[in-house]
Amino acid sequence: MAGKITQLMDESAAKSPWLYHINTGSCNGCDIELVACLTPRYDAERFGFKLAGSPRHADIVVVSGPVTSQSKERLIRTLAQVPEPKCVVSIGSCPRSGNVFKGSYSVEGPLEKYVHVDVSVAGCTPKPEAIMEGLYRAAQILTEKRKAMHK
Amino acid sequence: MTIIFTIIKSIFYSLVFPGLLFTAAAGLLLAGIDRKVIARMQKRIGPPIRQPLFDFLKLMGKETIVPRRANRLVFLGAPVVNLISLALIMLFIPVLGFTAFSGSADLIVILYLITISGVALIVGGSSSGSPYAGIGISREMVTMMSYELPFVMILLAVAKKAGGAAGMTFSMDAITAFQRANGSFLFTWSMIPAAIAFLLVIPAEVGMQPFDVAEAETEICEGPLIEYSGAALGLFKLGTAMKMLIMTGLFTALFLGGVSTGMIGLDIILFVIICIVLTVLCMTTVHAVTARLKIEHLFKFFWTFVAGLALVSLVLVWCGL
Repeated sequence: MAGKITQLMDESAAKSPWLYHINTGSCNGCDIELVACLTPRYDAERFGFKLAGSPRHADIVVVSGPVTSQSKERLIRTLAQVPEPKCVVSIGSCPRSGNVFKGSYSVEGPLEKYVHVDVSVAGCTPKPEAIMEGLYRAAQILTEKRKAMHK
Repeated sequence: MTIIFTIIKSIFYSLVFPGLLFTAAAGLLLAGIDRKVIARMQKRIGPPIRQPLFDFLKLMGKETIVPRRANRLVFLGAPVVNLISLALIMLFIPVLGFTAFSGSADLIVILYLITISGVALIVGGSSSGSPYAGIGISREMVTMMSYELPFVMILLAVAKKAGGAAGMTFSMDAITAFQRANGSFLFTWSMIPAAIAFLLVIPAEVGMQPFDVAEAETEICEGPLIEYSGAALGLFKLGTAMKMLIMTGLFTALFLGGVSTGMIGLDIILFVIICIVLTVLCMTTVHAVTARLKIEHLFKFFWTFVAGLALVSLVLVWCGL
C-alpha cells in the first residue's frame, strides 16, 4: 500500500511540473516563445505545465539569457530556493554559449558554470514546439530524480 | 457498548464519509472539472480532470522548506488547522437527505469554521516573513471583511425564513425540514436575491478569479502562499479544492434543501452533480470572462451590490413574505 502511494507520487512528479522563469539578460525573444507555449495554440497545460509565481512552488526552472554580471548572483540565489527534486532547462543559444553577447565585459556565461543544466534547448530563438519538447523531457527527468531521492 | 459504537461512528464521519476523504476527493474532482471547462472555454484541450490530484501528490513528494525567518510551528501548523477546520465543516452540511451531525446552532458553527480556515491562511502567511505575504494577508483580511457582511446577512435571512413566526432557527435539520414542507428557497421569490448574493459570495470565499486579489499570482506571487513549498503548500491547495465543495454544498443545503431521493448512494451522486453545476455556473464561467478586480473595487462591490441584494431578502423575510 505504502509502496503504491510512493509510486503514484513518483509518477505524478512528471505529470504536474510547475515552471519558474528566470530572465538573465535575455533579449526577450525566448521569453515570448516560452509564453507562446502556454497560449491556446500550443497549450502546455494539457501536460500539467503551469507558470508558478514563486521559486518555492517550482519544479522546473527555465533560464533564458547569457547570464549577465548583474543577474548572476540573483540567479544562484533563486536556484537555491527551489525545493528538490528540481530540473533546470535553458532556452536559446545564450545560456549555452553566450551567443552574440560572447566576450562582452558584462556577460559571465555560460550557465553550465553555475548549475547543472538538465535540458538545453538550442536556437535563437527556439520554436515553441522545441521548447515544449524540452520541457516534456525535463518532466520525465523529474520522475527519475524523485525516484533517486528515496533510495 | 453504545458509547464505543458512537465513537467509531464519529471517527468514520469525520475521516471518511462526509468528512476528510469524501470532501477531498469530491473537491479535487470539482477543481479538475473547473480547470478542464475553463480550458475548453478558451479553446484549449486543457489538463486531464485528475490534474489537481497529480498536483497534490507531487507536492506531497517534494521537499518542504521552512524559511529561516519563519516560526516553524506556526508555519507548518497553519495548513493542518486549515484542513481540519474544512473537514469539520462538511460534517454539518447535509448531503441532501443525510446529515452527520445536527445541533441547534449549525449555521454559527459553519460561519466560525470557515473564518478559521481564512485565519489559518493569514497566520501562516504572516509567519513566513515575506513582504509579498504581508501584502497578501492585508488583502485577504479586506476580502474576508467584504464577503462576511453579505454572507452573515444571507444566513440571517435563511434562518429567519426557516424559523417562521417563532423566530430564527440556526439548525440545519430545521432548515431542510422547512424546505421539504414548503418548497426550496431557490424557488421562493423573497429568497431569490439572497440566493444570487450567495452565488457571488462563493468565488470570493474560495478565492477565484475576479476576487482572487489576495492570491494574485501575476502581481504578488500567490501572496500568503509565497514561501510555502512541498507538503504544506499541497495541504493549502487541497484546502482550496475542499472549499469549492463546501461552499457549493452549503448553497445546496440552504437553497435547495429538502431535495432527496431517499437512497444514500443516489443522494451522494446527485449532491456531487449539483455541486459541479454550481461550480461551473458561479466560478468557472465568471473566471473565464472577467479580469481581477482591485481590492477597493472588491470591497465596494460586496458592501453595496451584494450586501444590497442580501438586505432586500432580509427585509422581505422580516416583513413575513
